[in-house]
Amino acid sequence: MRAGPSQDEVRRQNLGALLRYVHVHGPISRAELTTRLGLNRSTIGALTADLTAAGLVREEAPRGARRAGRPSLVVLPESARVYAYALSIEVDRLRAARVGLGGEVLDERVYDRPRDLRVSEVVGPLSAFVKEMQHAAPDGGRYVGVGVAVAGMVRRHDGLVRLTPKAGWVDEPLSEPLSEALGGDHTVLVGNHADLALMAEHLRGVAVDTEDVIYLHGEVGIGAGIIAHGALITGHGGYAGEVGHMIVHPGGRTCSSCGARGCWESEIGEEALLRALGTDGSGRIPAHQLIAAMRGDPGSHEALRQIGEWLGLGVANLVNIFNPEMVIFGGTLRNLYLTTAAQVRSRLNSLALPASRELLRLRTPKLGEDAALIGAAELAFTQLLADPLGLTSQSP
Amino acid sequence: MSATPLLELRGIDKGFGPVQVLRDVNLTVYPGEVTALVGDNGAGKSTLVKCVSGIYAIDSGQIFFEGLPVSVNSPRDAATLGLEVVYQDLALCDNLDIVQNMFLGREKRSGLVLDEPTMEQLAAETLASLSVRTVKSLRQHASSLSGGQRQTVAIAKAVLWNSKVVILDEPTAALGVAQTAQVLELVRRLADRGLAVVLISHNMNDVFAISDRIATLYLGRMAAQVKTTDVTHSQIVELITAGRSGNLGLSENGGPR
Repeated sequence: MRAGPSQDEVRRQNLGALLRYVHVHGPISRAELTTRLGLNRSTIGALTADLTAAGLVREEAPRGARRAGRPSLVVLPESARVYAYALSIEVDRLRAARVGLGGEVLDERVYDRPRDLRVSEVVGPLSAFVKEMQHAAPDGGRYVGVGVAVAGMVRRHDGLVRLTPKAGWVDEPLSEPLSEALGGDHTVLVGNHADLALMAEHLRGVAVDTEDVIYLHGEVGIGAGIIAHGALITGHGGYAGEVGHMIVHPGGRTCSSCGARGCWESEIGEEALLRALGTDGSGRIPAHQLIAAMRGDPGSHEALRQIGEWLGLGVANLVNIFNPEMVIFGGTLRNLYLTTAAQVRSRLNSLALPASRELLRLRTPKLGEDAALIGAAELAFTQLLADPLGLTSQSP
Repeated sequence: MSATPLLELRGIDKGFGPVQVLRDVNLTVYPGEVTALVGDNGAGKSTLVKCVSGIYAIDSGQIFFEGLPVSVNSPRDAATLGLEVVYQDLALCDNLDIVQNMFLGREKRSGLVLDEPTMEQLAAETLASLSVRTVKSLRQHASSLSGGQRQTVAIAKAVLWNSKVVILDEPTAALGVAQTAQVLELVRRLADRGLAVVLISHNMNDVFAISDRIATLYLGRMAAQVKTTDVTHSQIVELITAGRSGNLGLSENGGPR
């Protein structure tokens, strides 16, 4: 039998809890921290002093307080000095951001990506962005790690990218080459785009305080991040949430990504929208303008309604299986949902079980297009938040 | 969601001379929810809003605010209760900037002069709390704003003044896809913060996208008030055009069931 946690473990836990609280909720007074964390005043004082000495937080006198007595100091994250790099590999572009502790985007670069760009060719521009931003970053900063969001399937234990829709990537390592290109002194953590966007929305977006939530991300393909009872569903290998390949239309079109017939993605993905607009599915209309184009083209209104019906049908299946309290429509699905909500809701209300849908909320992301970037940064901050002062790394 | 309605109308009647516009209208509006008010042209939506906001006097019926009976005899009464109406196009003064518009009639003073820095800061904080990223400068004139930005500023004004009920009259009419999306998200966020929102709209996608309940007026009567999770688009269209749909809505003789 194991003895209770050691003093060091308790201290590490408490440091992590305090830093995480400030990281997620922003500036907060010491007095409020004592109630929120359930620790006494002197402990909060000591923990704050340790984190301040490490340059992770700082304290300020509260603004505009006019109450009697000595005001409680406000603890806030050192957002400008402690940061991570967040990278996002999307189908049509590469994005890189320097994200400060507290989730603030400090600097950002975007690069239009030709669709046939391979992993080895993605590493170059991405590492160049990071170096460029590192160069521009103020002196005395602390760079804690790198997180990458990939619009594709990512193996859980090593970040191997298995399949990226339409990019033709099969089994490409990403974490290692990227880490090497960046000088090898930081590990690079890789996650699925929808999973990371969900993580960000759950932590600081529209899904705060929800325990069961599904984030649907549409780009070229359709993917999902799923949190059930507060925990992200990863699946055995890390590939859970490929809802785009759920069969909704047996005998339907052949899916150009997986080869099966009647995938959800074939009915509501980019190809379906382009087809509805009367192009052959290979046209070059930027994803975010597709819905506007369809709204402006009376000929495709009926097709748009059809696509809304398919969207509702798929969501109804997910609602029956997972009974979420919230479904979030991200990426191209944001506009698709808002412009076809009458169809989506009607389908959902006629196909999902009344008990499963009665408290369901349908929402769009609060963090917008930044969700996956913020989520990638969270991935990079994980280690720091678990052990802010590096107490365990000294004795491996 | 919540037990006590923030705003409740019971048996509202309103006529103009020989024309009876509203007959025995009931409506309940809950905090944290978007209640969509739909109906054909002439069904009485605008009249109902004007009765609630104190522009028209009601002939009979009762208005309850947070469970207590109130009388609303002027727009000032409505504002005092915490009820704000955002009209389609009358929302802002073109020759004033964003801050001036948000504080119009309720300016902050420091001594004899206006306290511009405080007003600007409060306006900025309000917009930031609503995650509004589309407005570049708070000192630009309302005339230079796009339709979506105008709606955004008008809605933010309601938040700044701690309104409890916000009534929006066709907020997305005449907006493009991108701006409609932004305004819808803003309206949803307003309710998610705990406000009671009434959304008047003809656009069924807007209604189904963000509402929690749908109240349908038909020829001056409340045909039905239903939860958005319980109905389909075609049922609402039937309620709007015929006053009933299956077992929902008014009975054969036009009376309530």
